[in-house]
Amino acid sequence: MESNQESTWHELLQDFEKGLDKAIVELDKRDVENIPGAKEALKQRLKNMRLHFAKNNGEIFLKSIDDKIQNAFFPNTKDFSEAFQKIIKSRTHEQDFIINELLNGFVASKAKAVATGTQGPVIDRMVEAFSKRNDFHIIDHQFYAMFGDPNKPRHYIKSQLEELVKLFGLVSKELIIEKDVRKSEVKIFTFYTFPEKIIKILEEKYLILDEKLEYTYVSEAFDRNVFICMFLANVAINRDDLDKIGGSYTLNGISAIFALILLLSFLPKLSVDETNPILNDPNYNADTMSVIPKSWMMRQVLEPLFEPLIKIIAYRLGGGLWLSKIIASDINKKIHNQIRFLLKDVNKWVLGQLVRVEIPIFVEISNIFTEIVVGYDES
Amino acid sequence: MSYKKKTTRNVRPGRKREKWTDILPRYLTFLTHMRPILRETRRIIIDLDADLLLDTEILDKIREEEEKRNFRKVRALSEFSAMYRSNIYEIIKDFLVKYRNQIPIIDIKDYIIEFLYESVGALNVLSHITNPDEANLENTYLYVLTKFIEERLFSRGRNLSIIYSKLLGYSSDLYDCQRHMLQPHTYYREKLESSDLFEIPGISPKVYNIINNVTSLFNLDPNFGEFPERENQELPMILKSEVFDPYIDSIANAEEEAIEQISERFGLRIIDGIFLVPREDLVDLLAENNFLRKNSQSDGKVRLIPQLSNESLFLYYLAFASQRRGFLSKELINWISMNFAFLIYMGILKWKLSDQNIFYPIFKDLQTNEKILPYLMKLLCFPNYLGIDKMKIRDSPQYRKEIFNFIGSQIDNLKDFISEIAEFCEKFDKERKNN
Repeated sequence: MESNQESTWHELLQDFEKGLDKAIVELDKRDVENIPGAKEALKQRLKNMRLHFAKNNGEIFLKSIDDKIQNAFFPNTKDFSEAFQKIIKSRTHEQDFIINELLNGFVASKAKAVATGTQGPVIDRMVEAFSKRNDFHIIDHQFYAMFGDPNKPRHYIKSQLEELVKLFGLVSKELIIEKDVRKSEVKIFTFYTFPEKIIKILEEKYLILDEKLEYTYVSEAFDRNVFICMFLANVAINRDDLDKIGGSYTLNGISAIFALILLLSFLPKLSVDETNPILNDPNYNADTMSVIPKSWMMRQVLEPLFEPLIKIIAYRLGGGLWLSKIIASDINKKIHNQIRFLLKDVNKWVLGQLVRVEIPIFVEISNIFTEIVVGYDES
Repeated sequence: MSYKKKTTRNVRPGRKREKWTDILPRYLTFLTHMRPILRETRRIIIDLDADLLLDTEILDKIREEEEKRNFRKVRALSEFSAMYRSNIYEIIKDFLVKYRNQIPIIDIKDYIIEFLYESVGALNVLSHITNPDEANLENTYLYVLTKFIEERLFSRGRNLSIIYSKLLGYSSDLYDCQRHMLQPHTYYREKLESSDLFEIPGISPKVYNIINNVTSLFNLDPNFGEFPERENQELPMILKSEVFDPYIDSIANAEEEAIEQISERFGLRIIDGIFLVPREDLVDLLAENNFLRKNSQSDGKVRLIPQLSNESLFLYYLAFASQRRGFLSKELINWISMNFAFLIYMGILKWKLSDQNIFYPIFKDLQTNEKILPYLMKLLCFPNYLGIDKMKIRDSPQYRKEIFNFIGSQIDNLKDFISEIAEFCEKFDKERKNN
């Protein structure tokens, strides 16, 4: 079993090396850069990766994926509250961009009801619903009222609420009213809230408790990303049960986006000439951003790199099960292709140059690469 | 045979044109009920011995007495007043219970009086936001605030180029807000391929992604072809199919079919049925703003090399929508006017109320919002302000709920802008008093 795992991992590393070779050849064929030295810097970086990545059983990957990505987004645990705590603690303002992109971009199958398509705003409404009350509960009636007559909720609204409750793992409690004011009939209201353990975690930053009045308000920090962290925690603990996380579409999306994050982290910073107009552009901030080569985004260069990298991520996050679902089908290729343009708020265009916003996850992964490469050079 | 007389006019009942003098009183209706309640409450608290505040039952009795004085005949108004008053008293009671063991009661009383004073001040500004006869327009809050926000998010100008430059000037600080203006949350009602060629819809998330792809493809590795209108110049071109390549089968089908109309709104056109190419006016505009670089080649031709930023094409859409604001879709009109109304309302609150004011939640409550903002939206549509078609503002309470649910907005940039508006209010108020 173990030797099987080792040989798979070894094969994946070899595939990535081959991909790097191909990308270097493709890079030589065309030049789309207009910053002097950009193409050479990228080529050198790819060569360095070729030289160092497979060393020590893929140490750079192990540290970047297992330590950084997994800890921040998919903690390796079966305990929902522990996973949630780790994800929510790794939140930073910039990291939220990634989380948002994750949801907006790819989890279409499972999270359609949450973030994309016609029901886009539903998750924001959940936030609003919790914000409007002082007991940190929402009631089905209140939720229905946001979409029409609460006394005659539409069928799809009801099923949407059920799906959301399941997706986020909310807990419910029923209240039976024997005679309602409206029709003097029996009425059942369902209250929803977060599980007790999650509430304890949220109390640190996202909830304001008023012990005297026994009120619980949400703080300014409580936003849609709290729900998204719940969603990620759900993926993390159910990674072995694909039905619960939206099937192969979800894991292809997740693997592709983290492959992109990994790749972006490894790209070299370019030094631009002091006369370059980008330095005067108000949208560029030299303290928080850096210009990176754009040639990697060319399909010819990206494709040979991306596919093995996606497989590596899938294998590290979900083992053989996830890896077996990364099939080079047309649909998957299209998903991967979409992701190329996805991280637009942290990987943006300024005056035709590709700019990376130096968010913590990029910096941490890039540091691993530098440390290990320097370590090897010294030894 | 029917004997029913057929109507000769096709006007839907209740859709008559509303004048300024019809809408302003409606806007003021609820405000004029809110302010006296707050003032009465303030007077009562001032007159009350501080020690009596320790017993919250006294407050309940006072409220009951006050409610008995309710003589309003209109049910909706009396219900609203009762709800409003009970909210105020509840908040005061909560505040008392929470702090009576920590802060001397005399100080608590002062705080409550101060918070009520601030709230009356905010309602005072909201009630006098403009004049019934629109006299001395430039000196009214509604006018100056609309122009302040409009200049930054929906600029006016003689031509597209001027509007674009203005928007671009503010984009480094307010791009998220500018982008937000074009993305109504009710986009699913919009028709991408409208039978009315002139109608400008909002940007759906899919169109947003597609335009991001277009920006990337132009920057990455475009083809170049002859500029149809100008000899010796070469235009950047990208393959239409490449834009849609990442999408799976039917996803983005609607966008692909409507691509001509979508590209038109972004200043692009289709050449030879396969290439997406900037139109002549967009070329000039991009070149003026350094988003296109001219490169002379050895064959004597000038090649226009794209160096687009994320905002280059979106701001074109915004400028285009602003210039043709008479043709905006119903959803976009509702969305834009709602956002303007929200920014003005929140800006005034931010200016007048301190952050710790206990009555803030009442102002932000949906029940209060939906009494004030719909009429403010309509006022904003008049020619002196935004100049958009107010007949397209939906009156359905359901629709209001749908769009107002978002005004607690999660966008940091909007929050920053509200603070900027509050600072501007302060400045304007000082200037007004000095004159």
